[in-house]
Amino acid sequence: MTAVRPGASGTLAGLLGAVSGASLSGIGNAVAVRLPAAELERAAHHLTGAGARLADLFAAGQDPVDLHLIWALDGEDHYLITQAEVTGDQYPPLSDIAPAAFAEECEIYEQFGIRPASGKPLNRVMLPPHAGPDFPRLGRQPPVPPADLHAPHTVGGHAFEFPFGPVRQVGVESLYYGLVTSGEEIVDLYMFTWHKHRGLEWRLRGRTPREASFHVERTEGLSAVGVGWAFAAAVEAALDVTAPAQAQRTRAVALELERLYNHAAATAALCQATGLSIGQAAAEIALERLLRLNAAVFGHRYLFGVVQPGGVRRAPDADAVRGGLHGAHGELRRAADALASTNSFLDRLEAAGIVTGEQARRLGLVGPVARASGQRIDSRADHPAPPYVEHRPAVATRDRGDVLARFQVMHEEAAESVRLIDDLLEAGAGDGTQELPAAAGSGLGWAETPRGEALVFVGLDQDGRITRARLRPASVRNWRGFDDACRSQNVFTDVPIIEASFWLTVAGTAR
Amino acid sequence: MALWFLRGLRRGVVTTGYPARSDDSAARLPTPPAFRPAALDRSTADRLVAVCPSLALRREADVLVFDVGACTACGRCQDAVPGAAAPSGEFELAATSRAHLVKRIPLLREAGT
Amino acid sequence: MTDGDPALSSQQDQPGVPPPASGSEPGPELAAGRQLSERIARQFGRSLHIRTLDTGSCAACEQEIRLLAAPHYDLNRLGFFFTPAPRHADLLMVTGPMVRAFDVAARKTYEAMPGPKIVVATGACALGGVYQPDAFVHGSVAEILSVDVWIPGCPPSPLTLLQGLLVAVDRLAEKVGGLSFAADETQEAAQ
Repeated sequence: MTAVRPGASGTLAGLLGAVSGASLSGIGNAVAVRLPAAELERAAHHLTGAGARLADLFAAGQDPVDLHLIWALDGEDHYLITQAEVTGDQYPPLSDIAPAAFAEECEIYEQFGIRPASGKPLNRVMLPPHAGPDFPRLGRQPPVPPADLHAPHTVGGHAFEFPFGPVRQVGVESLYYGLVTSGEEIVDLYMFTWHKHRGLEWRLRGRTPREASFHVERTEGLSAVGVGWAFAAAVEAALDVTAPAQAQRTRAVALELERLYNHAAATAALCQATGLSIGQAAAEIALERLLRLNAAVFGHRYLFGVVQPGGVRRAPDADAVRGGLHGAHGELRRAADALASTNSFLDRLEAAGIVTGEQARRLGLVGPVARASGQRIDSRADHPAPPYVEHRPAVATRDRGDVLARFQVMHEEAAESVRLIDDLLEAGAGDGTQELPAAAGSGLGWAETPRGEALVFVGLDQDGRITRARLRPASVRNWRGFDDACRSQNVFTDVPIIEASFWLTVAGTAR
Repeated sequence: MALWFLRGLRRGVVTTGYPARSDDSAARLPTPPAFRPAALDRSTADRLVAVCPSLALRREADVLVFDVGACTACGRCQDAVPGAAAPSGEFELAATSRAHLVKRIPLLREAGT
Repeated sequence: MTDGDPALSSQQDQPGVPPPASGSEPGPELAAGRQLSERIARQFGRSLHIRTLDTGSCAACEQEIRLLAAPHYDLNRLGFFFTPAPRHADLLMVTGPMVRAFDVAARKTYEAMPGPKIVVATGACALGGVYQPDAFVHGSVAEILSVDVWIPGCPPSPLTLLQGLLVAVDRLAEKVGGLSFAADETQEAAQ
């Protein structure tokens, strides 16, 4: 059984005191508390009261369905999993976490046919309208199909709904928005992502971890390192394997490079959304230099094929890093500085797309979006896995929660990424992979992708093949915040600006 | 805006000359492999087929059928059988017919080599 | 290239030219067809408007496509332009493995483009790699759309994309058909 770290024992002891019928076990590197389903509401209430953040909600198995809630105890460097068997169609309403868990509750309903007892309507998110009983699911078909929910039109009866997508502007992913508007102001916004849902969690079953990692890094290609690392860490936790130290440092070099190019790309998108072509060009020059740096250092512009379960497939070319990193980052920094002196640009960003600290907390948002709203959460600092234990990043935060705050957080993080890469190379980043035994187990893995914490939970059978792979990129959490951000006194033309500042992907949620 | 204009002038032109001139950045791109027929027999070919995650390889009798269109240049085939495949260096891969991307590579390795 | 009629096969050596009636000799229709095809290619070669379509990509292909307009590549200098309006588009760049739930949207986008038009399947997923056909995905865009040019890569870099666009409008000759990907010959070509 996993030893419970001292800080967490307070919350855990409190939880065990508050509920009855609980039993503890270790799942790799996280503590699992199995409860009767009837105690779930009390557990959720206790944990949210103690400051725990709901990081994920998912199900596994059939008859009975095993409901898993993953709680992040960010102040105590601990992840806690509460598990409960659900017989029948319903589980307790969990109103304390309902806002944060909405997207996951919808996914669970479509895939497993179980729903919270609150009776509130659930959206169709993953499976298309024609998905009948034979459509592949992780569990069983819901008794009543989920609704194609449209938001209530509440502005004195004068609001109308404006469908947009799924085929949108040039060079962006397919996504369907319904904009509810009274003319210019956005009253509500909802999204359907089932147009490009690819069924990855279903497709990974039965594969070995090495086979699966090829597909996992293509869940969200712009977070290939982050999601790939979270998956590798989950597999390693399940099999009690540790990657070699120099490989761990290589993973972090790749992850920080991934963060750098994503923040450059987000900056270019912000300039495009605000119509500042010259700023866009400057950011794109920096982006292209960073992508070429990735190709020189790791052989791939998007860092595919670096991380694998057990270690890494290749070492970075340290000379290439030394030769190119500071120049490329300098290009990005100069572009960001020039943008920060351009009033016409700043005017579009200030007070746009505000997400308050309370909203960020209530919705369980992660990443630069959460940090720009004052939530000091960063899984590299809160739940440090090697090499971040020795190489602690400084966490960038702002309070205003608007697009400008997110822009500032991203550029502060970019500078910190450069510093981390220098330190990691100094300590020595190499290749190397630990062999994986073919054995049963389950484990939780995480990594701080450019858009926030990605979580992966993996269950393996005795041949070491995947029985359940739960992939939760940051986009799954944060799209919910996008709805709220667009609603707060914004107009149509702000929507692309807000979308660029979130810098999520549709692929990360339509996986 | 004067700030941006001056920055732009100082920065200069970064635009590639492609296709009129070759572009050095192409040398760092991952590219589909070229296979060595002399290193391939049925059993090595089968190992390559088994390790490809992208449906790009299959074996038909004594021919390795390589679908360049399905290849992601991940390098797993090169790692699995060192010496059997190496990056081709080709990045100009557009085809006007799908069949042009399917290559047949003979298995020419002699027994005992 | 098709003139908008989905019945025309795209698997011919000369896009846009209808197949000769069986048993007959190539006649004036074929010559006229070739002439028309050449005129269209010349027109496209001077100014081409491009629409993109994501049928389920991982988002990396889209990032490379966006970079075509960036300073390092600048597709505008070659006469290529992005357009969000299908009515103005001449060429459709399609990424992703054609998620089945996307079929209707894909067909509508294609049909909204007036002929003549070119479809370019872009990236390994769109060409049949990465995803095997199953209940979620077709596995390749050619299952739903009539494809004229195929661009491999995961993701294809902007240079690869530029070469693909130039091949699509006959400004560069296709190269890959003549490569063997068998070590000795390709090594010579790479030098």
